[in-house]
Amino acid sequence: MTNLGFTVEQKDCLQEIINVAMGLASDKLARFLNTFVHLQVPSIALVGANHIPAEFSGRYADTEAALVSQGFFGDEGVRGEAIVLYKMDNAHRIAELLGYEPGDSSEIEMLTDISSVLTTTFLNGLAQQIENSLSYSAPRILSSRHGNLSDVLQSTSFHWEHALKVDISYQLVDHSFNCDMILLIPDVAVSRIKVILDRILEEF
Amino acid sequence: MDHSWLSHPILARLNSGVIVIDDEYRIVFLNHFIERHASMALAEVAQQSLFEVFPDLPEAWLKRKLMSVLDLQSPAFSSWEQRQYIFKLPHLRPITSSSQYMAQNCTMLPLLDESTQQNFICILVEDATDAFVYQQHLSKTLIELEKANRQDGLTKVLNRRYWEEQLKQEIHRAQRYQHPLSLILFDLDKFKDLNDKYGHLGGDFVLIELSSLIGSLLRDSDLLGRYGGEEFGIVLPDTNGQGAMDVAERIRKAIADHPMLFNQQTIRVTLSIGVAELDPHHHLLHDDLIREADMALYNAKRNGRNRVCQFETKAVSRKLAQS
Amino acid sequence: MALPVLICDDSILARKQVRKSLPETFDAEFKTAGNGIEALQVLRTQEIGLVFLDLTMPELDGIGVLEAIKAESIDCFVIVISADIQPEMQRRVMELGALAFIQKPVSEEKIAGVLKQYGLV
Repeated sequence: MTNLGFTVEQKDCLQEIINVAMGLASDKLARFLNTFVHLQVPSIALVGANHIPAEFSGRYADTEAALVSQGFFGDEGVRGEAIVLYKMDNAHRIAELLGYEPGDSSEIEMLTDISSVLTTTFLNGLAQQIENSLSYSAPRILSSRHGNLSDVLQSTSFHWEHALKVDISYQLVDHSFNCDMILLIPDVAVSRIKVILDRILEEF
Repeated sequence: MDHSWLSHPILARLNSGVIVIDDEYRIVFLNHFIERHASMALAEVAQQSLFEVFPDLPEAWLKRKLMSVLDLQSPAFSSWEQRQYIFKLPHLRPITSSSQYMAQNCTMLPLLDESTQQNFICILVEDATDAFVYQQHLSKTLIELEKANRQDGLTKVLNRRYWEEQLKQEIHRAQRYQHPLSLILFDLDKFKDLNDKYGHLGGDFVLIELSSLIGSLLRDSDLLGRYGGEEFGIVLPDTNGQGAMDVAERIRKAIADHPMLFNQQTIRVTLSIGVAELDPHHHLLHDDLIREADMALYNAKRNGRNRVCQFETKAVSRKLAQS
Repeated sequence: MALPVLICDDSILARKQVRKSLPETFDAEFKTAGNGIEALQVLRTQEIGLVFLDLTMPELDGIGVLEAIKAESIDCFVIVISADIQPEMQRRVMELGALAFIQKPVSEEKIAGVLKQYGLV
């Protein structure tokens, strides 16, 4: 774990890249969703993936929650899995947000659609800055409503050594909607990302 | 080495559909997979609107998706698990499936023609019919498994574990909404003699026969379960003691009047029945209610069998419904 | 004569990116600050011609710096460079007297455009 930790410079660099990616995503989403999306400055932390379940099941303990996962992979060994968590109180707003007519789509489909939009928009902004390009697997719903979030997170994060936890809160001006995003990244990819960060740091 | 010659034969032989449309949803390209499955030629449909060429498309929803691909320059996805198909194409499988249409995973990718800066969308259509069919089998099996988990293997009425769970829930509901609820426990009279005389197959036959006969006398909301060897229980929601006594008597009479034919022999059986009504003010546990019905059943046995007894709180008095 | 320029951003990378994106012909003497408090210390004690200012920073944010500059009538041009591009934020920044608003990530083209527009190169 310690050898995987970022140096101060690397963390600064990654934080800035992520902040800018948020800004780019926020701009695009605002235009697409016709409402201003405020993306709060995300806090980032590299943690053992095994810490993830406890933390998030606590945050979503008193509410029905849904969890959508989407894999991403790019050049130079950058890859991982993006997890988006929702409180289901929000679910009915998603159709409105996406501009779907009632009956167009099931609840699960709306969740995967909005997740895909948020995840790919944010990660594309990130990829653009590190001169990479990402491909995505189709979003999959891991649990919704009655599923036990902690169990699902447990079995998902089990496959990963590390998680680059990027707490992103999406807030919409005229729709109260927010969710969290976690990026799970394997050891190998963390090392690759550090190489990329060092290269960027050298350029400037 | 120049690999550009490869794309044409690969696109032609690919076992997935490739559709390319421009930013006004006009068809630019279809590969052979789509041409063959949809019975159309690219030359005939090129430059036509995707939504005119495929009139069954979920237009409003798909347009919104395609717009996201153009606006956000991000891919969009559709899975057969949420939407069985986008393009209504026949699948070419000899297997029986509840649907004649190809289940699909679709990916919509942004494309940019660098030379003209024009945006296009590539729609990949993967045939997921196999997965769809497996999923259907699996769901069917799971439903059957769940049913098996609730059923008594011999008589097909509810098994004891599930029946008791249901009893608990019904008691809870009755208490919450202040509705009446009654419980019937009944036992086949002299089952041991029956087994001795007709063998275990004969005994089993009688249990199956009486379960199905009694089942036909009950409402959908009544819950018939096998409590033990030849002992059964019936939960009667929204039914007071008198109503339950009427049901019990009807059951007793129906069984007593119904000769069963087994291996060319006529078997006549009778039931002893105990009835107990939930007293919502005493907040009985389900065990208490079972115990009361069981005591009434014991009285029915002790008083000569083939009769119905109701549990009464004050002095365990007998209420014979039949002499 | 070299123009005294202050680059204020909590990110080291962002500060370097700004500097790297400036035209080679831009004759400047650079100072840096990691947050709003540091920026004001420099602005109050030294002559600064141009500030590249980030908005989201710890201690004191960019809006706070702009408010202080206005309140204390500190004489300098401010170009805001931010990832946060909410319309009301942009409006507020311009009302507080910023010269221009540039969306991150910065590039040579974006910066050159603004500098040219205001005759700074």
